[in-house]
Amino acid sequence: MRPSLRDAGRVLLRLRQLDVKAREVNRQRCEAAFLFVLLCVVTLAARLWYLQIVKGTELRARSEHNRVRLVRLQPPRGKLLDRSGRLLVGNQPCFNVCLVREEAKDVEDLLGRLSVLLEEPVGALRERLILGRRLPLYTPIVLKRGIDRDTLARLEPRLFRLPGVSVEVEPLRKYPHGRLASHLLGYLAEVNEAELAKGIYPGVRPGDLVGRAGVEAQYQKVLSGRSGVRRVEVDATGRLARVLDETPPLPGSDLFLTLDLDLQEEAERAMRGKVGAVVALDPRNGCIRAFTSVPEYDLEPFAWGLTPAQWRALNDARTRPLQDKAVQGLYSPGSIFKIVAAVAALETGRLAPQTRLTCTGSFRLGRRVFRCWDRRGHGEPDLYEALVASCDVFFYQAGLMVGVDELARYARAFGFGRATGIALEDEKAGLVPDRAWKLERYGKPWQDGETAIMAIGQGFTLVTPLQLAEMIAAIANGGTFYRPLYVDRERSPSGRVRPGDAPEVVGRLDVRPETLRLVRRALRGVVADEEGTGHACRLPDVAVAGKTATVQVVQQSRRGQLEELPWNLRDHAIFIAYAPAEAPELAVAVLVEHGGHGGSAAAPIARRLFETWFRGRPGGEGRGRGDGGAT
Amino acid sequence: MDRRVFAHVDGWLLFAACGLACLGFVNLHSASVAAGHAYHWRQLQWFCLGAGGALALFWMDYRLLAAYTAHLYLGTVALLALVLVAGKAVGGSQRWLSLGFLNFQPSELAKLTLVVVLASYFYNEQHETYRIRDLWRPALLVLVPAVLVYLEPDLGTAILYLAIFGSMVFLARLRASSVLILAGLAMVAMPLVWKLLKPYQRRRIETFLNPESDPLHAGYHVLQSKIAVGSGQVLGKGYMAGTQAHLNFLPEIHTDFAFSVWAEEWGFVGSLVMLVLFTLLLYRGLLAAAEAKDRFGAFLAFGITALFFWQFLINVGMVLGLMPVVGIPLPLVSYGGSSVLVSLAGIGLLLNVRARRFVF
Repeated sequence: MRPSLRDAGRVLLRLRQLDVKAREVNRQRCEAAFLFVLLCVVTLAARLWYLQIVKGTELRARSEHNRVRLVRLQPPRGKLLDRSGRLLVGNQPCFNVCLVREEAKDVEDLLGRLSVLLEEPVGALRERLILGRRLPLYTPIVLKRGIDRDTLARLEPRLFRLPGVSVEVEPLRKYPHGRLASHLLGYLAEVNEAELAKGIYPGVRPGDLVGRAGVEAQYQKVLSGRSGVRRVEVDATGRLARVLDETPPLPGSDLFLTLDLDLQEEAERAMRGKVGAVVALDPRNGCIRAFTSVPEYDLEPFAWGLTPAQWRALNDARTRPLQDKAVQGLYSPGSIFKIVAAVAALETGRLAPQTRLTCTGSFRLGRRVFRCWDRRGHGEPDLYEALVASCDVFFYQAGLMVGVDELARYARAFGFGRATGIALEDEKAGLVPDRAWKLERYGKPWQDGETAIMAIGQGFTLVTPLQLAEMIAAIANGGTFYRPLYVDRERSPSGRVRPGDAPEVVGRLDVRPETLRLVRRALRGVVADEEGTGHACRLPDVAVAGKTATVQVVQQSRRGQLEELPWNLRDHAIFIAYAPAEAPELAVAVLVEHGGHGGSAAAPIARRLFETWFRGRPGGEGRGRGDGGAT
Repeated sequence: MDRRVFAHVDGWLLFAACGLACLGFVNLHSASVAAGHAYHWRQLQWFCLGAGGALALFWMDYRLLAAYTAHLYLGTVALLALVLVAGKAVGGSQRWLSLGFLNFQPSELAKLTLVVVLASYFYNEQHETYRIRDLWRPALLVLVPAVLVYLEPDLGTAILYLAIFGSMVFLARLRASSVLILAGLAMVAMPLVWKLLKPYQRRRIETFLNPESDPLHAGYHVLQSKIAVGSGQVLGKGYMAGTQAHLNFLPEIHTDFAFSVWAEEWGFVGSLVMLVLFTLLLYRGLLAAAEAKDRFGAFLAFGITALFFWQFLINVGMVLGLMPVVGIPLPLVSYGGSSVLVSLAGIGLLLNVRARRFVF
């Protein structure tokens, strides 16, 4: 039925007016309703009073907290420079992807999406999140460090759909010289949960980088500086609205190392493709001028997170790149030990400088025959000649005269068997055997044959390249052992310069001056004399003194076919030297694993170092080009 | 057209309505800046359109509506059903009909339709007092749209329909015994209703009862709203300076949480101004009902006032954390075309009833 306008009019007419009684009832009802309305309005007003007046201050504070975030400002880490201020390790800006959990609605969903954008497994991202689970919910947690520009470009326009995710800039380590001195400089890596739990690093938070090795670890506190704080206003999704104020971070202090960049670079060039270590130090104070362990490794990937392939490469069993061979590599000293044997023989009076012993190329002890490296024999050398020519037979006999315990005592006097005290982690002490040690270790008595081979540096004795450098430095400076140092000075952000650790005497070689004089003369002869084994280190205008060693890795019987041996069975080549002989300022120890002969494999490397060191110096001009070296 | 009608326009009611609309517009401007949308300009367009509609509804004799209740009702129910079939879904709810150039929300229209239909019913079925059995027909009239709206799902609006029905029954007067029976029935029905609720609806109620239980999810809105309101303190943070709103800590600042924005920026004083305006509007509305010459007009005015009242109470109560979060707009203040149109239409009808109290 469709009502016409007329029908409508009829309806209108039908509307009856209310009578007086009905209107009165209506009025009462409306009054009651209005009372109810008033009651409700009063309730709302009371609630407003409660929230705005009673709780106003507290809720105002909460709204402040809501919008104000404290952003920690990472201080740039102190730079590492060489002794003349040339940059070794600097900083560069790095883009990190961070997450504020408070602002993330669905973390799992977010991680899934980020995983695709960052090309990172969800598990890895989740692990980062777990690491920071104890932090306040509004603290940004680094999910991925150092994203590249492509990833940044991909991520940035999508950030608004990823609530809680932000990209933060952080100063990250830059290595202008690549792998240079990687073992000494050390790398940075993210602090781990155990370290956080123990509170080893004050002020460090999950996701922060801390020094993990070398200088970076040892000087973590000096280099790291102090974080700053920026108060920023953010919106509900965590996006920055404006900066309120800021306490700037205090950058870490710069460290001037004692290293010499030129020398270090030369050492690394000389060792390229080899396995081993080179340590060069100033015999006058123990300052390290060059320090390399090869193969080296890239420091940068550590901070960015190593890929499995990089990690596998670093764990190569053959060349052990992660091992700092200068302080952790243990080697037989080989003929270097003849210096110890010579000093022991002289000091104990078993030999006089002019005493001559016969070398026919071999030496029989009981039923065993001990050979000299030169099968033709050395005739009747005295101590000087025996050291210069590195005669094995002479020292078999000298060693037997001295005895194992005296040999051990003098070996210890030369710094063997104890750590040098360099501020580097996991420095090995090496091993100096004696009768008691063998009895305890093997339950067997010491054999004379063992004394004989100990005297030529084979057998149980183990030393590190750094110990060899310390030894040669002590010989060079007249018998003082300094703790090896590598920090020359420290420069605070304000520019104030403080000297590094002062040279510290940790031992003294207690021998008669004439003994030391003889040894030094012989070491000079090793390089200078025609019969000397170290003439490959000869320089025309700078007098070099040194000692070669060729350390057997396999039995003597197989030595004939050295060149045909597989790499890992070849002899280690060692050379230690100092120069100038009359007033030493640089002591060098070179060790090339499986390099062959010390004279041919290690001595030329030392020569390159000396050339570099003395280049451009009075008496050193023109020798840098390698035109003056002996062949 | 009778000139006397114009002579008897309720100035206070008009003042309250215009005042609220102005405050709403000012507030929406701030919310729009915060949200980055020009909501306030679109709202102004709706206001203009709604003012025209209100004027038209004021112009015509409200008694004419009584003749068209059946058409109005069936048309509205059809639209509500159409929403379920062909509606536009926004945020998980299917509440809008797209007319191409604009979206229309039939559930808003249904509020007013129900008032008219119930007024017509109570006019036609006049009793001294009503028994339960007298109410099954109007109850059915309300339940049909309520169920349709509940299915959208829009629980808040469905409850609002029931509240309007309850209010109008209050005016019609229910026997005391029936009130007791209904109360008993409500108690019994409670667990059943709980079962019918969707999980998120239950969670909202649970969160309402214990807001701190889930501060990051369901409780987030209320928590942030309370922070916004409270942080306004006595005089507010200043216009456009509400950090909660402008930094997006508050959700739905242009619609459901418009009052939070107002309270944050204008403080206790500003909030009271808005409460007073609403109270004035409701008072004048009830006055129109109390002084209406005929039963239809009385019920119409009372129903429209109830409609304003419940929306106001539920919205502000929700914003202040006194009621569960349901999507009920604050009349004349919240953004929304359908809501504005229906509110202004209601104002037009109220003015109409009030102006015609002398006309017979």
